[in-house]
Amino acid sequence: MSSSDISPGQAIPSTPEDVPGGQKSASSHILGTGAGIIQSFKPINNFQQHVCTWAIFSHDMKRQIETHHYCSRLNEDFLQCLVYDTDRADGRLIGVEYIISERLFLGLPDEEKKLWHSHFYEIKNGLWVNPGVPEIVQKLELKQLANTYGKFWCTWQFDRGDRLPLGPPALMMSPQAQAPGQIRPELIKERDEKYHISTSEKAESRKDIQGPELIHPLSDLWKTTAKGWAVDLKEVDMILRAGTPLADMDRNTNVATTEDSKGDESRL
Amino acid sequence: MQRDETDRAIRERESASSARMATAVGPGPIRGPDDVPGEPTKTMTMLKERGASVMQSLKPISRIHQHLCAFHFYAYDMRRQVEAHHYCTHYNEDVHQCAIFDSDKENARLIGVEYIVTEKLFKSLPDEEKKLWHSHEYEVKSGVLFLPGIPQPIEHSEMKMLAKTYGKVFHFWQFDRGDSLPLGPPQLMMALTADGQLQQELAADVEKRYDVSFAEKRKNREDLEGPEGGVHSLSNSWTSGKGLASAIRPVESCEGVFQSVHL
Repeated sequence: MSSSDISPGQAIPSTPEDVPGGQKSASSHILGTGAGIIQSFKPINNFQQHVCTWAIFSHDMKRQIETHHYCSRLNEDFLQCLVYDTDRADGRLIGVEYIISERLFLGLPDEEKKLWHSHFYEIKNGLWVNPGVPEIVQKLELKQLANTYGKFWCTWQFDRGDRLPLGPPALMMSPQAQAPGQIRPELIKERDEKYHISTSEKAESRKDIQGPELIHPLSDLWKTTAKGWAVDLKEVDMILRAGTPLADMDRNTNVATTEDSKGDESRL
Repeated sequence: MQRDETDRAIRERESASSARMATAVGPGPIRGPDDVPGEPTKTMTMLKERGASVMQSLKPISRIHQHLCAFHFYAYDMRRQVEAHHYCTHYNEDVHQCAIFDSDKENARLIGVEYIVTEKLFKSLPDEEKKLWHSHEYEVKSGVLFLPGIPQPIEHSEMKMLAKTYGKVFHFWQFDRGDSLPLGPPQLMMALTADGQLQQELAADVEKRYDVSFAEKRKNREDLEGPEGGVHSLSNSWTSGKGLASAIRPVESCEGVFQSVHL
């Protein structure tokens, strides 16, 4: 099974309304609200920054999706983001992106660098925006973010028609000047109308933003190789803990029938 | 000539950066959140971000309403078990979506994503897809999956529903093998299905920190039942003896599009 399975063909993107399932019952609502009040959500409280931009499937760069990142900064060099398909309450969680400074990126092994993309182009050209935030405030942060690199796994390929998340995650790439990295104008227009902004005006105001001295050639690798990345899941022998070799497990009841003794490893 | 200079410049900067930065790749001891490389957030950065965030609506994030603690192991290696803090949204009555963190602290690392569906939806999945999913019946009934801070009667009600569900989880950050950054391909994870699988030190540590007793929860949940049709034979696919490991493969990005590009 692979992240690049199922070529979309004529498949229509699925919408939040297409997610199968019933309306939440009253008790679900009450339980949900109750839990929300009693529990602490420290990791989540830090996800304060909303970014709207686009991402492109690395294994099929004709597929471009508008993304809504909600980011949390762990330190000066590192952000982690939950990515949704919209900024509405019915937003589907479609993936995770990690954003790191140039400094951290340069320290990665070369094989790892190949999975990352640069952010300079989309920031400089006004594609990357913080909806609701005045441009002058956005720019303060953008100068720093323009030098970052990202790694984005998409866990729900809704745009190929998946009503539920299917298959392994897909690696995403970022908009770039070189085709097919350019975002289709009609997508930009639609986004601009929704937020009453002008991407081209933002690009104008961001002319002075400087990017990295040089964008690392191993990032956005498709520019030179014309290749993306698919994630495959392959069957391998399962490594178990000692004491529960499969032969001893009653598969109907899922209960181990031998005692767990010492901790030496066993392998099928 | 120009390219040589560029290559040299890149190599110089890379080696300077590597020297400064702790090795990102394992193997090694489990890296804690303090091992995430990088300078502490500057005050100015924080102020800029907070200032901006006040103006934004964060609707999808505000729908995250439930903290759930459980354990995951790698779908090809049960020896590698991690504590998994789920922050979940009930998307609708049949679908939950959860962000997975390595702790419940402010500096928690976002390590994965889990989707949870009811039995009805699980059955509708293609068979090949079912193999990526795991059942929740054992975790719930054994008491090792719980909602920190939630009183038992309320937790019980939620567990009644969860016991019948299936989950699919991928992790992106193998901190347990010593990675100080999220490296490599996504890892399919699985969940416990029987007694004797969960590492006792891991269990004891969680029980102590949250002041809970899994044995007590197990007793309280004796009345709960798993999926109506029994745990589906295609779920928990590793129990057949074959785990699932991920690999990354280069593929053509876009047919025909690159023909006009000068390389």
